[in-house]
Amino acid sequence: MNVKHAKKETADTGKGGMKFSDIIADPVVRERWEKVRRWFFLRESTYDMTNRCNIRCDGCYYYEGEKQFARENNNPDDWRALMESEKKRGITYVVLAGAEPSLVPELCQACYDVIPLGSIASNGFKRIPESVGYKIHISVWGNDESSLRIRNAKNLLAKQIENYRNDPRAVWVYTFTRENIGEIYEVMEMLSKNGCRATFNMFSAPVGYTGTLRHDGETLARTRKTMMDILAKYPDNVLYSPYNVVAHTHRLGLHDLYACSYPRMNPSTDIGLGRSFRQYHADLSWDRSISCCVPDTDCVDCRHYASGSAVVTARLYRHATDPTAFKAWLDYVDTYLAVWVMGYEKGKNLLDQMTPLPGHEL
Amino acid sequence: MADKKTLLRVAEILIDELKLEDVTPETFDPEVDLIDELGIDSMDLTTVVLVLQDEYGITIDEDDYPKLKNVKLIADYIEQKLKEK
Repeated sequence: MNVKHAKKETADTGKGGMKFSDIIADPVVRERWEKVRRWFFLRESTYDMTNRCNIRCDGCYYYEGEKQFARENNNPDDWRALMESEKKRGITYVVLAGAEPSLVPELCQACYDVIPLGSIASNGFKRIPESVGYKIHISVWGNDESSLRIRNAKNLLAKQIENYRNDPRAVWVYTFTRENIGEIYEVMEMLSKNGCRATFNMFSAPVGYTGTLRHDGETLARTRKTMMDILAKYPDNVLYSPYNVVAHTHRLGLHDLYACSYPRMNPSTDIGLGRSFRQYHADLSWDRSISCCVPDTDCVDCRHYASGSAVVTARLYRHATDPTAFKAWLDYVDTYLAVWVMGYEKGKNLLDQMTPLPGHEL
Repeated sequence: MADKKTLLRVAEILIDELKLEDVTPETFDPEVDLIDELGIDSMDLTTVVLVLQDEYGITIDEDDYPKLKNVKLIADYIEQKLKEK
């Protein structure tokens, strides 16, 4: 499905639906709506902080494409100046990602000093100083045996927990690949015993990827069942909702389901992410034609949690047609904010069962 | 040119939904650019659209969002939609 078709479908599902004022007349729905809409001011961009990483993982999106060859800018003053100019053009939220931001804490600090809302994607091997008050997303790709095989990292989960136990910034992001679905039980048991919180990601193949981690129909279905099981088993430790499960384990990827709004797939510069989003390389350059939250991911296979957080959230209109669809959307946005925003606490999911996306089968 | 009543009501909805301060429907410049000058983003605009749809009983297609650049254009758009009903 292309962007144009997806937009048409969105418009059609809007016709004949319930009035929005009737949907939010339910006090529980209204309360959640008022809670999430306070954060509509968030405008994100992402930044590769360095070319270096202390581990090397199969399927890592960073070491695909040209961005890995950008010359590092390690001058905190230049980063501070970039953040000042970002702030001026309306950016209120930063995502510090590739390759491993914990290796350049002084640059993370420079960003935080200017734009205090954001998150850092890290493998968790090296602790980021507490003075950098961003959310920290710690990547987990299976149990320690799998981590050793795929990431060449020994005792990674234990090391991550040692570094970030009881740290309110930390959210463990478990990436389901085709090979590690059942390992979540072991990982989640360890995380919950240590009071850690986790969310889920789906392996989304980089362009040209030929490895063994890419999902197929059978593993998508198995991942869906496993996610629901874990969500029921660890409600206090898992930041996710049944609608997240549906959106991220559907046979269609996020672009086909929601029409991705990142510049790479969205030519419009009128409003929204197509207008404001930039993805900076480690040399502080950026290129609109390849800008998205996980560059060099194969868009057809994209089920990435970062992508969904923006793309599903942006489809408010499509979900504001009936109470169930709107509750599902509210659960998704509540989850996204709890994962990405320091101090935001997730509420109880409004729906405890999966519900289909508007216009699609489950 | 849209009716003054429509212009004022659109301005009122924008003020209420976006919690704009230091402005009233009467003082709201109907030609101020909502995106470039007020910094309104797609989520804000969608929220306003949902309220306008309820208020006027019309459907506003997402493809039409770029047309809704200021109060005057929104009011014109609404009146055109009402005529087509």
